[in-house]
Amino acid sequence: MELSESVQKGLQSLADATFFDMKTFSVFIEVAFRSLLSAHADRSVLDQPEFKRLDQKLLKHCHTAATTCILEGVKQNADKSTISACLEDVGFDAERTEVFYTTYQKCRSDLETLLSSLGRCPPHINDVSWRLEYCIKNGHVHKVNEPSYLISLNVENANNGGSSEDLHFSCTMEQLQVANVLLQPIWNVGRSISWIRSFHRKAVIVFDIQF
Amino acid sequence: MLLVLSDEHKEHLGFLPEVDSAVVGEFGRIAVEFLRKGTNPKIYEGAARKLSVDAETVQHGVEGLMYLLTESSKLMISEVDFQDSVLVLGFTEELNHLLQQLYLENRKEIRHILGELTPSLPHYHNLEWRLDVQLASRALRQQVKPTVTMKLHLEESGGDKSAKVLQTDPATLMHLIQELEKALAELKTTHCRRILRNIK
Repeated sequence: MELSESVQKGLQSLADATFFDMKTFSVFIEVAFRSLLSAHADRSVLDQPEFKRLDQKLLKHCHTAATTCILEGVKQNADKSTISACLEDVGFDAERTEVFYTTYQKCRSDLETLLSSLGRCPPHINDVSWRLEYCIKNGHVHKVNEPSYLISLNVENANNGGSSEDLHFSCTMEQLQVANVLLQPIWNVGRSISWIRSFHRKAVIVFDIQF
Repeated sequence: MLLVLSDEHKEHLGFLPEVDSAVVGEFGRIAVEFLRKGTNPKIYEGAARKLSVDAETVQHGVEGLMYLLTESSKLMISEVDFQDSVLVLGFTEELNHLLQQLYLENRKEIRHILGELTPSLPHYHNLEWRLDVQLASRALRQQVKPTVTMKLHLEESGGDKSAKVLQTDPATLMHLIQELEKALAELKTTHCRRILRNIK
């Protein structure tokens, strides 16, 4: 894992027992991971009693370094040997490395979910509502007597602050049947994608496509 | 249901018995063409010169026919009701039959044209799809994330078309399919069948 000089310096301070004894270190690691997973940025995340005696500037620097290291590890899908080697390079002893890695393993899955949700993508369909109506007449044509569907897709625009909107359109029964027939094979393929994790946590993908 | 023709409308159509049936047939063809593509005043002038009448008289005759056709098509009146409605005009049987034929041959198309005037939502036109598996992104490497990208083609009532690119995941797609199947099944319920059968 490549970490910048600033991040390395922050981690070196974290490894230093004169700044962080074991208890303070353990609390700090827990806080660092929690701050990444909480939904809202909490300004008081570092207001722990264990951190009172520490210099605030040092505390923030170490927090930035720790969170950067955590995110880089999750991003690269780093294993234990990679994490351990990286932390040993910046002066972590075996006990501190173990504390870090244990919390990393515990939070890894949630952090992966968080990182996978970042990025640009087309508007995402979250839900669908429908209405079946029977048109009797309108201002221009009487005796219409036709059923039709009004479909509303709830769409979330991840690129625009997560704002959601509804996309409305109407269709006949025949068109809805055609659309449903078109969608069925996609779901069958998606359901058949299965993958096996090997000993080294590398994904091996087995496709079993059925039409 | 009978059509109620106003005095002004009867006066405009009063020009038709004064010309022979071939000319009325031609006026009928022009009236339908104007309903399809819009009016063209030059046609009135050309016809007026040939018939030695005012262009305004020809225009009233054609517009009267257009209104007769649109109102009859809008209300979807039966053959018998149409015949009875035009009886008040006092035309010959041959002219009545000609008008009836004009109505019956074109009413479906005229109703379709009138239907385009109604306020409506964008209408489904087509759906294209693509299944991808996301392998990595800037934020996270080594992913296995199936995504379904769809291009939904919609058409407005004026003929304008638009295409929206949307994405979803297999779990949400399953939910979408289940909901749409419920929507289709609803049309086959006793309640809906009763409505469709009895409201005509």
